Amino acid sequence: MDHDDAERPGWVRLPGYDDDTGYQRDAGHPRGAGSPRAGGVRRLRRASNWTAAALIAGVAAATGYFAHHAPPAAPAVSTVSGTAPGASTAAPGKPTLSNPVTTSSGSGVVVTTGPNGVKTYHYRGDN
Amino acid sequence: MTGARHPAAHHAWSLIDTGTGSVGVAERAALGTTARVAVWPPHQLARVLTVVDTELGLLDQQASRFRPDSEISAACRDAGGARGGGSLIVSEGLAEAIAVALAAARWTGGLVDPTVGNALAALGYDRDFAVIRRDGPVLTRHAHVPGWQSVRLDGRRLRLAAGLQLDLGATAKGLGADRAAREAATVVPAGGVLVSLGGDIAVAGEAPCGGWPVLVADEPEPASPPPARGGRPGRFPPESPAQVIRLVTGALATSSIMCRQWQRGGRTLHHIVDPRTGRPAAGPWRTVSVAAANCAEANAASTAAIIAGDQAPAWLAAQGLPARLVGRDGSVRLAGGWPAADDGLLEPPGTCRMPAGPGPVRGSGALAGPARVSGGRPAPGSGRLSAGRTPPGPRRSPGAGRWR
Repeated sequence: MDHDDAERPGWVRLPGYDDDTGYQRDAGHPRGAGSPRAGGVRRLRRASNWTAAALIAGVAAATGYFAHHAPPAAPAVSTVSGTAPGASTAAPGKPTLSNPVTTSSGSGVVVTTGPNGVKTYHYRGDN
Repeated sequence: MTGARHPAAHHAWSLIDTGTGSVGVAERAALGTTARVAVWPPHQLARVLTVVDTELGLLDQQASRFRPDSEISAACRDAGGARGGGSLIVSEGLAEAIAVALAAARWTGGLVDPTVGNALAALGYDRDFAVIRRDGPVLTRHAHVPGWQSVRLDGRRLRLAAGLQLDLGATAKGLGADRAAREAATVVPAGGVLVSLGGDIAVAGEAPCGGWPVLVADEPEPASPPPARGGRPGRFPPESPAQVIRLVTGALATSSIMCRQWQRGGRTLHHIVDPRTGRPAAGPWRTVSVAAANCAEANAASTAAIIAGDQAPAWLAAQGLPARLVGRDGSVRLAGGWPAADDGLLEPPGTCRMPAGPGPVRGSGALAGPARVSGGRPAPGSGRLSAGRTPPGPRRSPGAGRWR
């Protein structure tokens, strides 16, 4: 790593290396760790690290967002105006009932509704 | 809860025609009243009835004060016998039933008290209602109600004062409906079930579209309609206020002073005893229906409301429990968001209001284990009324104060 910028046989300088004012070779500095080229590479590497970190953070944030805001796998409760919440259509064959299936009254009395809407009550203790 | 001698104790389930084939409905006598089960899809009815039978049998064996061979009868005998004053280990089921009764007592400031057994017996309700004497001599005394604080329950360890008779009537049927509905729903994974024990109703699983339609009825005036005789039911009188509601989740219970009545010395008595007096409650309501997250809680609240009298609507509203109260004159008062319209949706709260009570009825899973409850120990929790047995005093804020 310390020798990334070393002059090696076969290496060719990138065009404009010496033209970039930000990368002006300082005549007083030999090429090496303290050279303008070394500083540029460090800046580039630092920028790459920040870019990678930003990408990772972005992906994590997006993942978290979608984990909390993803639409449900099954459709949510579907209600029609005037019907009960919870009247979902998720279960196939879900019945719709019009007549009461039972009665809530004082213990011991059962009220039933006949086919013609005639209500009858039964004293369980009496029969 | 019924005794083994109850004439209808071993009746089989009867199928009920509700005008549709999309639900299966059956009914039988149980626990001194009528059990009714509705289930969809209807082909699951037989499996559900088997589960419900098991739960009702267990509850009857655990908590019936009319069965000499029940666990609670044995516990009360032991409390008064040689082992009186000591403690005994009860089954988890009975421990849960007593824990729920004590939680209800604490929550209602003692208005719902499981130690009213002797008071009920002194009033004449000393056996299954089907076989009690409907008339008798004038009562010369009323039994003292020792109070729920005299019951000690720690897990399954129960300690009762000598001579104390427990009566879990204000919560046990509701608890039974909760248990049965919850267990039944486990065998109906793609459907729903409703269990009614004498009008105390719990639902579990998925409700039908729009909810389970339930008729909420007030009992007729005793003298006006002929009661069922010889298998021929009487007509429901048109002047009786009734309403159809729809229940999607939770539970609904109704308590009434109109149905279980008898006479002593020419006076009409009923089965809801005010623990403060040892006598039948004399408040302004003849029937109260309450919706809650579970049926034990609904049952306790409706009974407490009958006893609480004028304070009941405000307390129920403060608890957020939808309620329908029918006055002695037949007038109807709604509280806590009870739907005014016929066929309206009844929406019980999703969470329990009764501290240390059973959890809400859900589609599956068992009840929480028996709570560690000691009658005389202060309990955590909010919304309870304290010291219901105190003398009458200034009215306080419902949900935080005392009953008068």
